[in-house]
Order: sequence, then structure tokens, then C-alpha cells
Amino acid sequence: MRHAFIDKYSHLDSPVHRLDPRVKIITSLAAIIIITTEPVSGRLLNLYLYSAITLAITGLCRIPARYLLKRMLIVSPFILMAALFYPISVMPAHEVSFISDRRPLAEAGLSVFLKASLALLILILLSATERFHRLLMALRRLKVPAIVTTISALLYRYIFLLADEMIRTARARESRTPGVLRRGRLKVYGNQVAVIFLRSWERSQVIYKSMLSRGFAGEFPDMQEMRLRSSDILLSLLFVALLLLIKFLI
Amino acid sequence: MHISDGIINTPVCIAANVAALGLVYLTGRKATAEEIPQMGMTGAALFVASLIHFPVAGTSIHLGLFGIAGIILGKRSFPVVFAALLFQSLIFQHGGLLTLGVNAINMGAGAYAAWMIWRIAVIPESIRSIMAGLTGILVPALLMVIEFRITGYGTAIALLLLVYLLAALIEGGITLSAVLFLRKVKPEILDG
Repeated sequence: MRHAFIDKYSHLDSPVHRLDPRVKIITSLAAIIIITTEPVSGRLLNLYLYSAITLAITGLCRIPARYLLKRMLIVSPFILMAALFYPISVMPAHEVSFISDRRPLAEAGLSVFLKASLALLILILLSATERFHRLLMALRRLKVPAIVTTISALLYRYIFLLADEMIRTARARESRTPGVLRRGRLKVYGNQVAVIFLRSWERSQVIYKSMLSRGFAGEFPDMQEMRLRSSDILLSLLFVALLLLIKFLI
Repeated sequence: MHISDGIINTPVCIAANVAALGLVYLTGRKATAEEIPQMGMTGAALFVASLIHFPVAGTSIHLGLFGIAGIILGKRSFPVVFAALLFQSLIFQHGGLLTLGVNAINMGAGAYAAWMIWRIAVIPESIRSIMAGLTGILVPALLMVIEFRITGYGTAIALLLLVYLLAALIEGGITLSAVLFLRKVKPEILDG
């Protein structure tokens, strides 16, 4: 399995890349909260302004637009579904006529779409401008339990190995049962699932032994160098203040 | 089943994050160093196996496998689900950052419900596995519908349950055959 796409652009140099990962995480969360707490109706201007600011920051990151679009397109069907479903689901049955004004409903749908897309873009920027290990260590320093960051680090390390395992078990399954399965489909797929769990279980025993021999005691050592600069905090505060100004003054 | 940011009510998301982190602390506090790689690898297996597309009626659905996660990991399934979702959110943007707690509680509740059923020893193992597979999908789907309703979506959102009912039935069958296989080949995974 190819996994070069992960943190492919994290080595670039930009003002966003240079920010301390802790500052980046907190700022992203704050921005997502400010944007998503906008009500669904009557605040489209605010959402346009947030979009302009977020796009300006996206421009600063120097990550190719093609890559960002591709990542956004993967999740966008779900966002579109929610944006379309929201107005339809709140529409009272008796209002389904040609006379009633549909504009508020369309605006509500657009608002859901914009809020979710902006939050998604911020998340993509966060993960694309920082190496995954540094993000995990930053989360650990922000007091996220060690068990979460350690398991995530293990997932990052082994998931592609297991993905290859999955491809191999799928190939084995297909060569044993070519064509469309008519009967026993659940059994065949269930066995494939069981084999993946079995192999991961066996591999975990070996991994534990090798980790133990390197001195593992329940958590990976934190060897990242992180320096909290006042300029980072200032930039982050400026961004959040701008969003808050739009939220409360417009 | 992964809810993105901006789709559901933000205060609900924030409360769920606080609750989820508390639960991670409570259920993962006493995990030994030996358990950690096992949890990591089972989490990886869970994610990878959920990429399997099961062919059904001319299309295909991907598996959730929260039932089997509950059976194998028991109490430890919550920290694993939380960490796996954090990973997926950061790497693939499957599920948002703010909705991490909501998604973890939905799917973790599925795994816990399955685990509770699995522990009722008086029921035959085959029935327990089917029920674990079913609840592993239905409980998260039900919680999701409730969260959408709190956000203000209309009652029609409950139709989602129908969609997930089919997925749950398939999961029941898959869980049964996976449990039968593991019982024959490596029973200690099920009894650990």
C-alpha cells in the first residue's frame, strides 16, 4: 500500500509550518469552535468572511491546491449529504408547495455546507503542515492521556503493514472463491476478518518483546524539541481575535 | 458513521469530548505495558478489516466491527476506539477533530454493548456473537440519530436506522463466523 501521501508536505517551510504544534492544535480547535457555533440561518456573511480568512491562511501554507482539493473531495460527499438533508428534514410537510419561500431553507443548507467544509479545511491544514509524530507529542504535552498517543503512534507505524496483510488475505479469498459468491459469503468474509485479527494478535506479541528489549515501559519517549515562541502565541491570538471580532461585531 | 465537524451541535461535541477523555482515563488507567502493543495492533486490525467491502445487492458496504472489538478488547476497547479515531481524523479526515468525542462515544458504546452481551455466559456462544455484531452497529446508529435530532434535524433522520439495520444484520453474520474461526484456531483471543 502506498502511503507517501501522509504528511507529504509537512517538510515545507511556511509561517504556518513553523508554528509550534501545540499552538497549531489549540488554534485549530478554537477556530473550528468559533465557526461551527454560528447559527444555521441568517449569518452567511460571517461564514463568507471566515472562508476568506481561512483561504488566506491556506495560501500562506504553500501546499498545492490540488492536494488540498483531493483531500476535501474524499469527505465532501458526507458533508453534502448533511447539507442537503438538513433543510429537507426540517421542512414541515404542509409547506411543500410552489408558493412557499424556499430561500431560508437553501441558506440553512449552504450554511451547514460552509461550516463543515471550513472545519474540514482547517483539519487538513493542521495535519498537512506538521509531522504526525510531532502532533502526537504535542497532544501528549497538552495532557491527552499517554495511552491514546501511544496507541495512535503504534497505529501509524503498523497500519500499512496490516493493510498489506489485508490485501494478501483478500487475494487468498478471491483465489479460493473466484467469481460472485452465492452461498457462504458471510462465512468467507468472517474468516478473512478473523485471520486479520489473528495475525495482528500474533504480531503484537513479537512487537511487545522487541519493544521491551528496547526499554519500553508503557509510553514512547518524547524526544521532540518544541519551543513555545511568543511570536507563535501572538499570531495565533491575532487569528482567533479576528474570527471573534467577526462573530460578535458583524 | 464518522461525523465531520460542523454537522452536529458544537456544545454536544464539547461535552462529548470531556466525557470521552474521562472515559479513556478510567478504562485505560491500569493498562500494563504488555497490553499497549496488543491494543495498538488490535486497533490497527480493526481499522484495516473495516476497509473490507462486503458485496451486497449489487453494491458493497464496509464493515464496522465494533462488536468484535468489544469481544476481543473488552473494557480496553474504548481507549483503542478513541485512539483509532484520532488517527483517522488526523490522517484521513474520517471524522472531525471536534467530533472526536462524539464519534468515540458512539462507536465505543457499540463495542461496550457487545462486550456486555458477550459476558452473559448462559446464552450459547453463537447467539451471543450474532447479538454482539448486531448491537455493535445498532447502538452507534441509534446514538447518532439522537445527536442529529438534538442538533435540529427533522424526524426523517431516523430513516438512517433502517440503512444501518441491513449493515447490522451482515455484521451479526460476520461476527459469528469470525468467532467460530477464532474459537477453533486461537481461543485465547476470545477468552483473554
